[in-house]
Amino acid sequence: MRHFLVMTAFAVLSAVVFGTVAKDSNRERVVYGLKVFAEFMVIGLVLAWILYFIPY
Amino acid sequence: MSKVESGRINPEKAPARAWLMGIAGWLIPGLGHLLQGRWGRALLLGGAVWICFISGFMMGGHLFIYSGSEPGSSSLLQIPPMIGNLGTGLLYIISWLTGFGFSHEQQQAALPTFEYGWTFLLIAGLLNYLCMLDAFDIAAGRKS
Repeated sequence: MRHFLVMTAFAVLSAVVFGTVAKDSNRERVVYGLKVFAEFMVIGLVLAWILYFIPY
Repeated sequence: MSKVESGRINPEKAPARAWLMGIAGWLIPGLGHLLQGRWGRALLLGGAVWICFISGFMMGGHLFIYSGSEPGSSSLLQIPPMIGNLGTGLLYIISWLTGFGFSHEQQQAALPTFEYGWTFLLIAGLLNYLCMLDAFDIAAGRKS
């Protein structure tokens, strides 16, 4: 659970910065920030599951 | 004669103010935007970097520095993360001057969040490089 929370914190902080610096209008920033957050979370979970099945 | 006709690229020079804002943003996360009256951006960007940096230490992380004392070329491996850490500007410089946060005790390394800690410290620096460039672009008039 701790690992998930830390990953979420990382995704939130990164998404805030990426969303703020990348786009021009507020709406675009929010949408892009949410997209970046979702991408970090989904890719993190997928990688976690892949690594879970690797026996090393 | 236009720039195209002359066949030479003549990029517009950024004003000195833009460089100052960039340096301010690098030294203190959020200051580059704050000085330009961008309170919202300063709060969001500076806040994210500060939270990242502080929580990195709270998780037991450490900063990187090139010491040159390790055998062979393994010291060189410290340079890329050090460049990342350097992005936090004064936070890194003050830590370096006071000798705080560069070493890690065995007890600290045993923490389950130890790896996350130094990763957060690294990310804080890298995110601040983005914020610094944003402050520079706004001051140079390349961004609204």
